[in-house]
Amino acid sequence: MSSTPSGGGEAPPAAVELRGITKRFPGVVANHDIDITVAPGTVHAIVGENGAGKSTLMKTLYGMHRPDEGTIAVDGTTVRLNSPSDAIRHGIGMVHQHFMLADNLTVMENVVLGAERRHGIGAKARARIEELGRRYGMGVDPDRLMEDLGVGDRQRVEILKVLYRGARIIILDEPTAVLVPQEVDELFDNLRELKREGLTVIFISHKLDEVLSVADTITVIRRGTTVATVDPKGTTARELATLMVGGELPVPELRESTVTDKVMLDIDGLRVTAPGGRALVDGVSLAIRSGEIVGIAGVEGNGQSELIEAIMGMRPVDAGRITLDGRDITGTDTLAIREAGVGYVPEDRHRHGLLLESPLWENRILGHQGRPPSTKGMWIDRAGARADTRRIVDEYDVRTPGIDVIADALSGGNQQKLIVGREMSGRPKVLVAAHPTRGVDVGAQAAIWDHLRRARAEGLAVLLISADLDELIGMSDTLHVILRGRLVASADPLTVTPEQLGSAMTGASTDTGAGTADTGGAGTDAAGTPTTPTEEDEGGA
Amino acid sequence: MRTSTSPTVAVGAAAVLGTGATALLDLGLLAPAALAIGVALAFAAVVLLSAPTTADAGSRIHRALVTPIALVLSVVLGLLAAAVLDWWLIEPVAYALGALIGSAGAFLVYRRLPTQLALAFAAVAVAGVLALSVTAVVLWVSGTDPFRAFGRMIEFGTRPDNLVRIVNAATTFYLSAVAVAIGFKMKLFNIGVDGQYRLAALLAAAVGGAWVLPPVIHQIVIVLVAVAVGGFWAGIAGYLKVTRGVSEVISTIMLNSIATGITAYLLNTDRLAVEISTNNIGTTPIAESGWVPGIPAGFMGADREIYGLVVLAVAVGVGYWLMLNRTRFGFDLRATGQSPTAARASGVNVKRMVLLSMVISGMIAGLVGIPQLLGQSHYYALDFPVGLGFTGIAIALLGRNHPVGVAFAALFWAFLDQASQILDIDGIPKEIAVVTQATIVLTVVVVYEVVHRWGLRYQQQQVGKDLGRVEVASS
Repeated sequence: MSSTPSGGGEAPPAAVELRGITKRFPGVVANHDIDITVAPGTVHAIVGENGAGKSTLMKTLYGMHRPDEGTIAVDGTTVRLNSPSDAIRHGIGMVHQHFMLADNLTVMENVVLGAERRHGIGAKARARIEELGRRYGMGVDPDRLMEDLGVGDRQRVEILKVLYRGARIIILDEPTAVLVPQEVDELFDNLRELKREGLTVIFISHKLDEVLSVADTITVIRRGTTVATVDPKGTTARELATLMVGGELPVPELRESTVTDKVMLDIDGLRVTAPGGRALVDGVSLAIRSGEIVGIAGVEGNGQSELIEAIMGMRPVDAGRITLDGRDITGTDTLAIREAGVGYVPEDRHRHGLLLESPLWENRILGHQGRPPSTKGMWIDRAGARADTRRIVDEYDVRTPGIDVIADALSGGNQQKLIVGREMSGRPKVLVAAHPTRGVDVGAQAAIWDHLRRARAEGLAVLLISADLDELIGMSDTLHVILRGRLVASADPLTVTPEQLGSAMTGASTDTGAGTADTGGAGTDAAGTPTTPTEEDEGGA
Repeated sequence: MRTSTSPTVAVGAAAVLGTGATALLDLGLLAPAALAIGVALAFAAVVLLSAPTTADAGSRIHRALVTPIALVLSVVLGLLAAAVLDWWLIEPVAYALGALIGSAGAFLVYRRLPTQLALAFAAVAVAGVLALSVTAVVLWVSGTDPFRAFGRMIEFGTRPDNLVRIVNAATTFYLSAVAVAIGFKMKLFNIGVDGQYRLAALLAAAVGGAWVLPPVIHQIVIVLVAVAVGGFWAGIAGYLKVTRGVSEVISTIMLNSIATGITAYLLNTDRLAVEISTNNIGTTPIAESGWVPGIPAGFMGADREIYGLVVLAVAVGVGYWLMLNRTRFGFDLRATGQSPTAARASGVNVKRMVLLSMVISGMIAGLVGIPQLLGQSHYYALDFPVGLGFTGIAIALLGRNHPVGVAFAALFWAFLDQASQILDIDGIPKEIAVVTQATIVLTVVVVYEVVHRWGLRYQQQQVGKDLGRVEVASS
């Protein structure tokens, strides 16, 4: 690529220097006038809320798209990055938020895949992987099968992949989103090791306390542009939050208890099995009372999705009973369950929550096909549905120019507010909320929490599943931990810490502050590995 | 453009200007040319006197794209209206009235045409121009003057008798295309319309010929048999898909072959057939009580009659539109087609929808042969038209599964079929029409996809812009 030396200084040149980066997408400016200088051998954090433009910026740096304006310099040399392979050639590697690993291959095969030219596929490659592991403290047995590894080890394999390809600058996109606190600590130890060996790490996150503990420099991005670069020693999470959102971060918390003794949703001994006969949900029993939010903590892939799908009637139940307000709904069809008073905020709003190419008012009908104001008998009630969509748009502050706009045109936060508004309409008795604030901006996050609190005060029973432990602890009246399809512990949200919850989620210990409910056989497996959900959804991608 | 006079004034001025100009120019010019100029003038008056009422009025795209398309649409509307009125009235009067309709249309279209719809029209226009250019090149390369060929086709295709033939052919095409379109809306590819209608027509003809029933009841019985057979035959494919996961593409192709075999077996003088003429056998002709009388087309100067069952095609079109846009079932159908996962999470039983939509598609397919059967031949014989199911696929694609779009596509297709007959007489290979048909389907599919994506992006931009404005205003 074209290499013209840029005006260097007396200090060693910056590992990465971004100057005036602007990237426009149709209708939006994702990044503008970004200036970042990353010193070599440091951990440089880039923080910003969802939708601030962090990922767009990193895709620019990794050569996944070209910036419309601005320059990128690596080690003092201006470069043009047309593709990720250009970026790799310049020593830039990226670890994506969603792992890109083949489950049925070994660690070594995964690392070598696509980089066979470097050291072949035999002993030389193995030696190189073992050497990298030793040097950077990331020992993973090259011969283990990927599907046997836990999330933390998978992430290490992803980093090894990048190192194996000769990266000197490593971009980590939200690496802690999938980890429990203990794994986060291990990851940070690895990062410090990389730094000590002279590598540069660019770390993207929106979790401020993590950033403060690991980064040497922090750059804050707000609304697509860099607003400040600060030294973590001289700042606090509060100040960072103010820089990040231009105000205070919303705090998930509940005020006085509104829990009543009327059980709204009662699950008794629920068992769901995979087609092969393996139990995905195994003997789960829990009760949610009117005015109560019950949180389920767990590493992704431990049966949360299957539990929800069983409640919603989307997955056959093998054993057990689900009772809604005294009425047995086990095995009933989804629409009947919804009409009996269960609202559903699905975990993947694009796949399960919306018709992206349909207007908002038609999306209002989705899931409410059988009742007013969406339909009258067999006919669609256009006027009713449209009027009610307008109500939702107003009450839930969905930012949209109108209700005839297609759902795909809205931002994630506004789509989610529309879904929450829709699911709250018709006064449900129970709300099943899976990751209700995932990938939404702080404004929408605060609004969704408010709506949950208000509905709880009015007697709604909520089943909350989230990967955000702060949200779980702050928003739950009761907390359960799910591991391999079993509820292995319950905890008091008032006293439990994210670390204790993390231990219980990985099965490392079930007797911390979390009051042990049911230890059962779910603990360590034969190999003695404490973590590992045996099936990781993103793994096969 | 920015001055907004009251709408009444605007529409009045446009009408007077358009009609007046046409009437005057008609003295010196050919009537269609006079009308085009008159409507264009009226359109200009509308643009000056009123403003569009759509949300994105005033944007660049609106000026650059929607306005010209609105102009073309108004002129076409005027010309069509005049051509139809010409059947009853003398030319100057017909064209003056046509201009009046075109001018009023200009007012409505300019003010109301949504950008999305304008884009769809633009896509059709682009595809049409591309297909005609390809055909012209092919003609030119083979040594024929393309303009002479096109001229002959237009002249021949618009003769009254041929217009009737076109409408009749379009009736069958339309039913076939709607059958396919119902599947398409669910992302199901019913290739089996062909087998479904042939089997349905054969059995309906046999039943109709075997019994003599009072009028009305006789026709209803025949139609019901056809619908039941078509639905059953398509239902097999639907059942296999939901219970065994067999792709409907494969199973309907197989069922087509089986249907061919069954019809060949049944259409035998030992079974359902009798000798119709020396070298043709068919089912017993249906008694006159089971016929559907044609609509005399004397008003347009034709001796032939339009199929009475053109009414059935219109009813199917209206029903299809109502079902799709106004009923719960239609909503579930569209939702399943757009996103099976979201449909399932919302409580739609996706398997049931697949089976039902396949059956409904087959029921409509069963109707395809009926206009011909009850309106013209009155028996199912060896020379009963075949391949209409495949034509239906092309027409559904061309009309983008929209009830109105499919109607125009069916008429256009029938026009090409009919008008190309003249080319043989002139020594031009009439297969040239097939080239046009094939190219237009290909280009239309590509252009629609491009326009569709572009439209989605445009909406996103528009939303971004609108919200930006709100935020600026509130801050």
